Amino acid sequence: MAAVKETIDQVKEIDVDKYKYGFKTDIEMELAPKGLNEDIVRFISAKKDEPEWMLEWRLEAFRRWQQMEEPSWARVDYPEIDFQDLYYYAAPKSTPGPKSLDEVDPELLATYEKLGIPLSEQAVLAGVEGAKVAVDAVFDSVSVVTTFKEELAKAGVIFCSISEAVKEHPELVKKYLGSVVPTSDNFYATLNAAVFSDGSFVYIPKGVRCPMELSTYFRINEEKTGQFERTLIIADEGSYVSYLEGCTAPMRDENQLHAAVVELVALDDAEIKYSTVQNWYPGDKDGKGGIYNFVTKRGDCRGKNSKISWTQVETGSAITWKYPSCILRGDNSVGEFYSIAISNGHQQVDSGTKMIHLGKNTSSRIISKGISAGVSQNTYRGQVSAHAKATGARNFTQCDSLLIGDKCGAHTVPYIESRNSSAVFEHEATTSKISDDQMFYCQQRGLNEEEAVALIVNGFVREVLQHLPMEFMAESQKLIGISLEGSVG
Amino acid sequence: MEQHVVKLTDAENQLADLLQAAGAADAKAALTANGLPTRRIEEYHYTDLRTLLREVPANLAKANDGLPSEQFEDFSRIVLVNGALVHADTIDGVEIKSADVARTVGHDQIINLMDGFAQSQIEIVISKSIETPIHIAQVHDGANSVAASKVNVRTAKGVEAAIIETFEGSNESGLRFADFAMDVAAESNLLHIQLDQNAKYARQFVQNRYDLHEDANLRTLVTHSNFQLGRTDIKADFKGEGAHADFGGLNLLVGQQHGDITLNVNHGVPNTTSTESFKSIVRDRAKAIFQGKIIVAPDAQKTDAQMMCQGLLLSERAEVLVKPELEIFADDVLCAHGATCGELDENHLFYLMSRGISRADAESMLIKAFLAELFDEIENEQVHAKLENRVDAWLAAAE
Repeated sequence: MAAVKETIDQVKEIDVDKYKYGFKTDIEMELAPKGLNEDIVRFISAKKDEPEWMLEWRLEAFRRWQQMEEPSWARVDYPEIDFQDLYYYAAPKSTPGPKSLDEVDPELLATYEKLGIPLSEQAVLAGVEGAKVAVDAVFDSVSVVTTFKEELAKAGVIFCSISEAVKEHPELVKKYLGSVVPTSDNFYATLNAAVFSDGSFVYIPKGVRCPMELSTYFRINEEKTGQFERTLIIADEGSYVSYLEGCTAPMRDENQLHAAVVELVALDDAEIKYSTVQNWYPGDKDGKGGIYNFVTKRGDCRGKNSKISWTQVETGSAITWKYPSCILRGDNSVGEFYSIAISNGHQQVDSGTKMIHLGKNTSSRIISKGISAGVSQNTYRGQVSAHAKATGARNFTQCDSLLIGDKCGAHTVPYIESRNSSAVFEHEATTSKISDDQMFYCQQRGLNEEEAVALIVNGFVREVLQHLPMEFMAESQKLIGISLEGSVG
Repeated sequence: MEQHVVKLTDAENQLADLLQAAGAADAKAALTANGLPTRRIEEYHYTDLRTLLREVPANLAKANDGLPSEQFEDFSRIVLVNGALVHADTIDGVEIKSADVARTVGHDQIINLMDGFAQSQIEIVISKSIETPIHIAQVHDGANSVAASKVNVRTAKGVEAAIIETFEGSNESGLRFADFAMDVAAESNLLHIQLDQNAKYARQFVQNRYDLHEDANLRTLVTHSNFQLGRTDIKADFKGEGAHADFGGLNLLVGQQHGDITLNVNHGVPNTTSTESFKSIVRDRAKAIFQGKIIVAPDAQKTDAQMMCQGLLLSERAEVLVKPELEIFADDVLCAHGATCGELDENHLFYLMSRGISRADAESMLIKAFLAELFDEIENEQVHAKLENRVDAWLAAAE
């Protein structure tokens, strides 16, 4: 069955030509020379005043990257990227590194205000008491400010830009950087390791429940730049953190590259919630411009009873190539992936997740909704695998997709690999397999089957998205409104 | 696909020499340029033939008049030995002849080998409905040899027919290729079943191609249980509106067996429907693979395709690897796929055992129940019985 009108209207609301964050900030920037070679890597490292070991790490990655080939297996199509025609470092001249709020260029503060991201610690969301969110604001290649650092420090939480962490907490960075996504992982991750400029670093000490939401807001502004940020989050034993990521970019005619790496480490009994509202510039309605979002995100449930949960709402980017994954190494660890990916115009999305079950009694859950409209292509690509020693592994996957119009495509490519007899995997893409009890309950109260399904699934998604902070809520709300009518599996 | 300079393995060199001897220079050139498929080729993701096919026979199978042992009472019979037609019953309304092989070379090296080794192709034209099923008995005879067959079936409009193919071989570590193509004419109603009965260490590569025309109806079933390494590549193309097909398959594996069923169903026109049901039961260190892909073309509105694959793992080290894919370009369609993997439900076993049934019997019962759905639609009693016997034999052997 085809999509209902209400859904079509909702998707139109966020069509590519309705992009709200397309303004650009006029601010004097310092750029590295265009192109990429060892000197650029040294330049970035020097700009960051990095220790020798960090430079060595970058150079090793760079040398490896030169030997690698760009992957071509994803269902995305784009002209070859000229990696020599990019700037790998761009920083506002006035604020070339993290400063306290008073020192930040007002132009930058205004930019973030315009994006709806309050950087002032006094600014509390209207009508929401105590809704504090600590923000690390990354502008092109540098982190310009990190808020609530002192308050967080009282709880023992380290929240700063990764360049600060390299200098101030080298022991933690050395131990964990590259331990989840090794420098040799894939083409873009290796490139990132060589040239990453900034990003956030979070360390939650043993037994601490992070007192507020942490977030990073990424903004690409400068022309012809690539943004390569690196995020590292470590949740020590028994700790908890909820982390949010937002991103936007101005409307430009050319494509811009964003190749980030996010690494999460959850030790025994720790929990990390990572939420993303990805709203990069998707290009115009003719498919001109837009961000190439080639991101490697991976969480390692290293300790027993640990939990990592990914939530993503994807509406932006010309091309998305992203698979937030969980390595379920610790016994009884849990991995979750909730995703809504909406593609409009000429967007191409190839996204999904990997759940690698290694430990005993690990469980994972994947809920993915893809909606494609216009002439876009939306692919779910996922892998669920149980290692021979992953006794009692459990996975449930549900992926639904919806097409609006007959010029777009929706694709599902799940890899399900069971190497242990006691592993139980279920994968479904039908709307008929929601718990019979829930269905019965709803139908018995007069809802028809379709209404009941929409209610249950949306109710479920809503529950997940409630964990997003208020700033992101308005945007997400529109997306959640989209019901599941006409899902095609 | 990029061309890499490949250093060939001994097995690949051997196959290249055999292709030369079979008179298939083009297939040889393609093989030496690309090598056998590896896991880097998506269609062979779980069946890396560079590692799995390390040893290949030294000879081409010779013409031979070996007799098949598989029997169906009252069925019409066509016998192929090493790909050559050696016997065909006279069947009213059916024309059977052996023709020169038409070889093509494409990107899939296994299909190239299949065409390259075939020395003739059997043309079967069914021009009116036949009540008794046709049994095509394919025998691979001759130690340490490679054999290939090609069978093309065409039907007239509105014909009803059933074709049961059996693959058997006395050849301990033989390598066989079999290509089957069927043009399912408008309004016809066809059944195609393949039962494998190879020797223990045989390797077998099968390709089944179906073209479905307006209002055609097709049911298929393949079994994988008697070989060391087997792969069946099913390709179906919907070319006429109103056509319907049910595709079924079974991997029943034990020991070190490796069975791969790869399915591609292309709904190219509006108003066509299909179901896909594939099951795997694995014991010991066996590996069962199912890759299914449903493609719905941009204007193929009102397509309804339902794919299900289920795996049952009976031993710790057995593996079930599945990839049920959907590729949808039309918005008014119903496509669903489901996949499950697991072991026998302890609760179900407990229920049966609490009623005095031994664990072994309870397991057998549940396994048969798991498969029943697949066999239920097969109406012919003899075929049905053969399928059940096969499961019984498999269960008995495992005990």
